Amino acid sequence: MARVGVLRFPGTNCDRDVFEAIGHAGAEAIWLWHADLFDAKAFDALVLPGGFSYGDYLRSGALAARAVAMKSVREAADRGTPILGICNGFQILCESGLLPGALTRNAGLRFRDQWVELEKVGSQSPFGARLSSGARLRVPIAHADGRYMVNDETLKALQDGQQIWLRYTENPNGSRHAIAGVTNRKGNVAGLMPHPERAFHAWMGGEDGRKILDLWD
Amino acid sequence: MGQTERLDEEFAAKLKRYRLNRDEHKRICGLIGREPQGVEWALFSALWSEHCSYKSSRVHLKNLYNTSPRVLQAFGENAGVVDLGDGERVAFKIESHNHPSYIEPYQGAATGVGGILRDIFTMGARPIASANYLCFGRPEAERMEKLVDGVVRGIGGYGNAVGVPTVTGQTEFHESYDRNILVNAMAVGLFRPGEKVFLSKAKGPGNLVVYAGAKTGRDGVHGASMASESFGKDSAAKRPTVQIGDPFFEKLLIESCLEVMAEDLVVAIQDMGAAGLTSSSFEMASKGGVGFVMHLDRVPLRDSTLTPEDILLSESQERMLMVVEPSKLQRVQEVFARWGLEAVAIGEVIPDRKMKLYWHGQLLTEIDPDLLTEHAPKYERPFEVWSPRSRVPQAQVAVPIEASIAERELERVLTSPQGCSREFIYRQYDAHVGAATVADCEDSVGVLRLKDSGRGLGVVLGCRPQVMRQDARDGGFDAIAYPALELAAKGFEPLAVTDCLNFGNPERVEVMSSFVAALDGMNELCRILETPIISGNVSFYNETEGRNITSTPSTGLVGLRPDVLKVPKSAFSSSGREVFLLRLPQLMSGGAYRELRGQEPACAGQLAARPFAGFLRALTQVARDEKVLATRVVGKFGLAYALAKMVSRSRVGVRIGRGGFEAARHTLAAGALFHEVFYEVILETSASPSEFRSLVMRQLAAHSPVDLFEMVHLGKTEGSALLIEGLLNVEAHKLEAWSQAGWTNAFENLKLPQSYGEA
Amino acid sequence: MAIYKFGVRVMPRPEVLDTQGRAVEETLKREGRKVQAVRVGRFVELEVQAGDEAQATQEAQTIAESLLCNSLIETFAIEKRG
Repeated sequence: MARVGVLRFPGTNCDRDVFEAIGHAGAEAIWLWHADLFDAKAFDALVLPGGFSYGDYLRSGALAARAVAMKSVREAADRGTPILGICNGFQILCESGLLPGALTRNAGLRFRDQWVELEKVGSQSPFGARLSSGARLRVPIAHADGRYMVNDETLKALQDGQQIWLRYTENPNGSRHAIAGVTNRKGNVAGLMPHPERAFHAWMGGEDGRKILDLWD
Repeated sequence: MGQTERLDEEFAAKLKRYRLNRDEHKRICGLIGREPQGVEWALFSALWSEHCSYKSSRVHLKNLYNTSPRVLQAFGENAGVVDLGDGERVAFKIESHNHPSYIEPYQGAATGVGGILRDIFTMGARPIASANYLCFGRPEAERMEKLVDGVVRGIGGYGNAVGVPTVTGQTEFHESYDRNILVNAMAVGLFRPGEKVFLSKAKGPGNLVVYAGAKTGRDGVHGASMASESFGKDSAAKRPTVQIGDPFFEKLLIESCLEVMAEDLVVAIQDMGAAGLTSSSFEMASKGGVGFVMHLDRVPLRDSTLTPEDILLSESQERMLMVVEPSKLQRVQEVFARWGLEAVAIGEVIPDRKMKLYWHGQLLTEIDPDLLTEHAPKYERPFEVWSPRSRVPQAQVAVPIEASIAERELERVLTSPQGCSREFIYRQYDAHVGAATVADCEDSVGVLRLKDSGRGLGVVLGCRPQVMRQDARDGGFDAIAYPALELAAKGFEPLAVTDCLNFGNPERVEVMSSFVAALDGMNELCRILETPIISGNVSFYNETEGRNITSTPSTGLVGLRPDVLKVPKSAFSSSGREVFLLRLPQLMSGGAYRELRGQEPACAGQLAARPFAGFLRALTQVARDEKVLATRVVGKFGLAYALAKMVSRSRVGVRIGRGGFEAARHTLAAGALFHEVFYEVILETSASPSEFRSLVMRQLAAHSPVDLFEMVHLGKTEGSALLIEGLLNVEAHKLEAWSQAGWTNAFENLKLPQSYGEA
Repeated sequence: MAIYKFGVRVMPRPEVLDTQGRAVEETLKREGRKVQAVRVGRFVELEVQAGDEAQATQEAQTIAESLLCNSLIETFAIEKRG
């Protein structure tokens, strides 16, 4: 059974939700603590769940990006381990430089919770790899700092490098190019603002999240 | 001025500072056999405040119906606990944070959420849902836009960060809240099978008194006694330091507390809420029949200039007081340290009923805790026995509306502050964190899936201030009946109630009379329904410059249903379905529509608990049938408004035949669109009309005398408009646009974010 | 009319809990930084149009009091810039 490390920072609050979803997806979820190094070779994938690490103080993800465990995350990234950051996890990956760009305050300046429709663009990410390009997904967002920002040059590089992973069909937060998720150049590190673990069962209102956390069945 | 006069003036000033009156001072002297000294003034001030002692309400609260086979814990602890069976239990409570929210709306609302969450996890339950009941003044009232904005941001800012989903809410607007808004927060926590319930009763002489969480600052010193006073013109001047909430810290506190409880490392625990360390320590000792030695100089401080009195009264947030066996202290400290928090032993439990407070080795006071808790004064405030109000002949209740103005009047209703969309508010709340949310603020009941059993837990709020303005006893009854019916309409059996009794100045007869009448109405129905009231709080003195708020006993109910797969929606689901109205007509009211038109309240009939209970039980079973697709209890602005809401949400239209509509309204004048009938429910079903009738009759027969009910076949879902033949024909998108415009007209700067294109 | 530039420094009141400062301070300490205390505020640059400097300063003061700073929990200081 695939071993998936789930990172917990102080203030992470989607940790249990992601932990359970990974179990439903057929893998073994294993807790990883922010203050401890871990063996990067021992995991088939890593997930950084959402929440408000360090209360989102200073900048979302900025303080968590400096946690001890991030050294091991970086090592795993270099080894090519699939790594997924969800919401605050995405913010942490951007702040730590493992993903390009930055997530800033929503254009509406307010927290926003709603279901959105996503379109798959780039095909590099091992997460959701079975979705064809142009596939549509319904997944909820819940964030105040989800406006993805990059400069023209980086945007061009992302487009050329197939790094734009997911886009909103209706842009809820003013993200550049309506970007909802990106990958690093190699493709193994990916981040998205929506919460796939909140779209896992019919009773939640949809099951499309399974198509993103689909590495292990 | 003579010396006696000067002394008397000093004494009067002291009483004023500590918000005690001369009789209370006399009572204190009698109890302790001498004049109070030093910090004792502060202790009595805090614990004898209305907020902590319930001195004006205790004689009435003791009559509340609060037991049932399901109740594991009622009043007297931080929250009530109800047994769901299968090893699952829930703790829940609603609490007010009205005064602080009027002063500083963001922090006031945020700390309100934080405080109620602590009441829940201090018992060992993980918070799984929160809800909020808000009453604001007219949009044009001074500061109102800022208050709405700040309160909503504060609730979201705290709840979202701490990771507890906000699954339901209620927002009211009325001029009586212009200068005194209401912010009531409810939280629900879950004990999974095998998890233990922790109480605040201190035990075991020799055990340590341990302070955990945030350091103490000057926050909210004298907050409890301030919350027990009316607002005057100088309220701004006597503000204590605003309490600042830190949801990040609270999250760490939740995890560390639940961890020490899972390891069974604590004997007793209570959060430091109103009156901070004073109330937590005195209440814990008093309940346990023991005493504490406490060294106030060992309390971790944020500000080294704090005096013992400040430390005793500080309302700094995110703090807990625990009783821990000495051998377990080290492990407790390790757990807290792992989460980055402090846990410090500041004293110990002693067998004598004495609180011995020390400051750097010097004894400040030695006093029996019961004197401050059990022996607080109880007032029997004068009140008048209630007699039914606002009754008129039935024909005068409703306002008849000509077909020619029906659409315009529907627009007026949907664009009014009371009738318009609340989407701006709930979009800012994370309703889905926890990955257990089945239905959120878009529906009339918040629904969560219980992980271990797969059953559904319903959460809903109640109290319609407009009904309270009409008749306080009816309003109290309705504060239980309406939310209970909302639960039943989704197939949930109501289990128990929490209440937050927001009233004006209890020293006024009319306020106290409405308090007694409302409690009476609530109590009567709770008893018949066997849904006990198990927790809550009382907020008196919601009075500003002599003006009292609408008496507002807000309620929170939880209900249970065997599954979560086919919970009926609150909007029409699809075309070609049958639409029925089920009702138990007891009271007809001109309702919110008359109020909107500036007319006096008017109603006819009486509310009665027993037939209601039968209706409720039958409806619960009907709503569990998988052929029931959508349900909605008809509430403010009556049938036309409820239908409009069911159409605008989903854009699935409905055609109501003239016959169907008139049958539904037959007891009243023709063309009456917006009057309210207590109680009625709209149901959409995939069954045929005859199938549905027999389903309903079967359930009614099983649960109550059939002849009190009426069932009307209203029509069928079709198209995309609300169509009432001969009266109304309005497209869904237009209804939705009105509903949104109503909000924007009221608060032009509080806009719902739209879509941003490519950006 | 001329343009006057101001900087407005808004800080949490000393007696009020600074939640951001506390989180940043803890993080820095964990990294072994030699930091004693951290407080986090914000800095706002204003360009004010006014007839003279006194008027402009008055306007900046009003702006700071009415919007930039919540006097219940924050204090502010205005500095003239360029």
